[in-house]
Amino acid sequence: MNPILSFIVILIGVYGLATSKNIIKSVFCVTIIEAGTILLFLNFGVYEGGLIPILNAIGIEIVDPLPQALMITTIVIGSTITSLALMLCIKIFHHYGSIEWKVVLKGDK
Amino acid sequence: MIKRISLVFLLGFILYLFSTSIENLADIYNSAGKDFFRDNGFYDTGSMNLVTAIYLDYRLFDSLFEAGILLIAVSGVMWISQHNTLEKNATFMLDKQKTPELFITFSRLLYPVMLLFGMYVIINGHLSPGGGFQGGAIVATAILILYYIDISKSIDVNKILTIEKFLFILLLSIAFLSLITRNEVFTNFIPVDGSAGMKSIFLILLNIVIGAKVALGLIAIFTAFLKEGR
Amino acid sequence: MFLAPVLFVFIPIIASLVVYLFKHKLASYILFAAQIALFVLFALYIQALETNPELSLIVFGGWDEMFAISFYNDRLSLIFIGLTIFMWTILMMYTFKTNQRENKFLFFLMFLQGIFLGLIQTNDLFNLFVFLELMTVLITILISYKKTGPSFRAGIYYLLLNTVGAMFFLIGIIMIYYVYGTINIQYLIQNIDLHSDENLIKLAFVMMMSGISIKAAFFPLFTWLPKAHGVAQTSISALLSGLAVKGALYMFIRIYLEMFSKANYNMSEFFFYLGATTAIVGVTFALTQKDLKQVLAYHTVSQIGIMVMGVSSVSDLSYVGGLMHIMNHALFKSLLFLGAGLVIYGYQTKKIYEIRGVFKSMPWTSILLIIGMLSISGAPLFNGFVSKTLVKYDFKGDLLKMVLFTIINIGTVTSFIKFSQILYGPKVDVMKRKDALQILSMTILGIGCIAIGIFYIPFGEFVFGKDLSYVKIFDIRQWIDYITYVMAGMILYRYVIQRDFKPLRLIREWTITFENANYMFILYMVFISFFMFFR
Repeated sequence: MNPILSFIVILIGVYGLATSKNIIKSVFCVTIIEAGTILLFLNFGVYEGGLIPILNAIGIEIVDPLPQALMITTIVIGSTITSLALMLCIKIFHHYGSIEWKVVLKGDK
Repeated sequence: MIKRISLVFLLGFILYLFSTSIENLADIYNSAGKDFFRDNGFYDTGSMNLVTAIYLDYRLFDSLFEAGILLIAVSGVMWISQHNTLEKNATFMLDKQKTPELFITFSRLLYPVMLLFGMYVIINGHLSPGGGFQGGAIVATAILILYYIDISKSIDVNKILTIEKFLFILLLSIAFLSLITRNEVFTNFIPVDGSAGMKSIFLILLNIVIGAKVALGLIAIFTAFLKEGR
Repeated sequence: MFLAPVLFVFIPIIASLVVYLFKHKLASYILFAAQIALFVLFALYIQALETNPELSLIVFGGWDEMFAISFYNDRLSLIFIGLTIFMWTILMMYTFKTNQRENKFLFFLMFLQGIFLGLIQTNDLFNLFVFLELMTVLITILISYKKTGPSFRAGIYYLLLNTVGAMFFLIGIIMIYYVYGTINIQYLIQNIDLHSDENLIKLAFVMMMSGISIKAAFFPLFTWLPKAHGVAQTSISALLSGLAVKGALYMFIRIYLEMFSKANYNMSEFFFYLGATTAIVGVTFALTQKDLKQVLAYHTVSQIGIMVMGVSSVSDLSYVGGLMHIMNHALFKSLLFLGAGLVIYGYQTKKIYEIRGVFKSMPWTSILLIIGMLSISGAPLFNGFVSKTLVKYDFKGDLLKMVLFTIINIGTVTSFIKFSQILYGPKVDVMKRKDALQILSMTILGIGCIAIGIFYIPFGEFVFGKDLSYVKIFDIRQWIDYITYVMAGMILYRYVIQRDFKPLRLIREWTITFENANYMFILYMVFISFFMFFR
């Protein structure tokens, strides 16, 4: 049940990207997709009754530690991309005076 | 309108594919990875927290480039935010706010507690949940509370960037140190048959360097946003 | 010597940090020292690999190779490493005098070289994702380096679209890890057929291919490419067209052709027609543009289509043709971009109809531009001819594929006839920059194009290990073919393009908004999954 919920979060983010007319909304939707991906990763390793992978673990039933380690990296990468995108949004506002995709992408071709 | 309805149908189709693929999720699981980390994690690396063992010993190479992406993003944000005189709409929001008294008092109480908690999470990364990245984010949040206490205080960002690059070079040299002692790159410099206490020196050292780097990077990004290049 | 793969990654990174920290002018000469060190290391490494083949795999930390990160080098990655080091040296020579004091620009550029060399050698799927994201961030910063309005909007368009693609690639990775227990690429190449008919693995294939298609600019997801290439600085445009999309094609070869080859998904016809569509759409757009750099950018899209047509075919010779077209395209497209950069600086404008008389005002530059144009259109004695003939080998008997290929060729020739209009006309006063290194770097590229075009048989033996004598330069039929293309191109240009009809104007001004680009992405994913699941 839980992997399906995480996938629904990802699809909500994709729906938002395909219908948003504002640049900052698009950045938020990318953040939602990242959050959904992180939840999906964490859901693929756990099962009912598994313990956390800490304390001397030989012979104990633990959940898979590898997806959690990969997600530490992914969270950092996601936050850096969000910060870079938001700084670009500020600069676009200073140059064009608006943050709607239609106005910004028109310009001179 | 047609676009939105067709979009819902397309996304529903992908969701249907996904749900038919995970019908037998528990049967197709291959536990080779989990068994390897469970059986050998503590004896190889000296860390009780297996997640820390993975990102600081088995996959140290990934963590080096994660620190690298933070470096690049901070330098990029700093470069982009510097003003030149061509912009028409630049107004600065910073001078228009006054923080409430209650908030300032609470922040003064909270700041040392958060700093201490962040340092605890960094140093104990190999014995309890936590580590360099998580603790670094907590320390960065603690120092950013200072902006609420005294809004005119500003930090010299160029010095932070230089310190951060030196920390990155330090991280690379600690990771390369194992070439001399063990003839393998990017792993612990104490040999595998050392005691767990000795091996955790490497883990604590790496966690402190990574924590400092992450904290400085996040402070620099937030300061760049706040000052908008002034 | 067993550390050579690691040193390929870290020599550029440490050189870039040194250039950033010491703001002195002499510190920038360290970059040339780093490039020479990389060349020497590469030559020694190739020699050492012939005597000791177990140097090609290095596992970090000495752990079991299924659960730790490793680097693996075979013939494909060595070709890319050589091309990367060569291209970066040329670019350093081109931008050195103008950017010697901009230590941040050189810092980002050299860091990108280290990341690219790491992307090519890595043997671990998640490590590939980290390098991919690093490349996205670095290229965004380099695109927006000039801080003008158009460069910011190109930067954010590029960043958001490519991040979405990388996230879907990541979803594919976890599905593969769940079923196989490892994310080591060489292990997956050998053993993918253990579980490859599970629905979850098919879905993982769809996700990973969608992610790669955005970065490699396939149809309908190529809309970021003309915006990014048109507004960046000249050296960055040459780098993007020459190498950054080739990184995505490298991933396409590794993941689709090698990792999923034993799974027998039978998608080669699908990717062939996708490549053909990409190529035709690319030339159609290129024919209508009036901006010098946009024409070259749309051409990159269409040449990528030709590369995919070659690489995804089942015959060996066409695969080598596709690879060789990757190398040749890097050479002649960079030559064209660098030459166009000099022309734009001299005339201070970007529109084709305002620039005339290049041949008399800048003679050596125009000779190099003519070499580039002959190479890209496939004239015999130049390198484009060799790779295009090899790609044609696979569909000798199939009429539809021959017709498509001929249409693409005629379109390419026509748009370069349009491009060459800048050469005619009287002599004009231009701004020149006295920079010997720039002319030297472009001359090296031009000599490379001609050399590969003539000496392709020893080149093919040494680089690919294959006998390329199927291609005959002095076969009279090939010359007649080429002259027919040029004639058809001239007729098409004079009667259709030069009049600038209404449909052409509509195509030129049709832009695709960001939301529609994402809608196309979802359509593309649903389309691939139809092919995978219901056939």
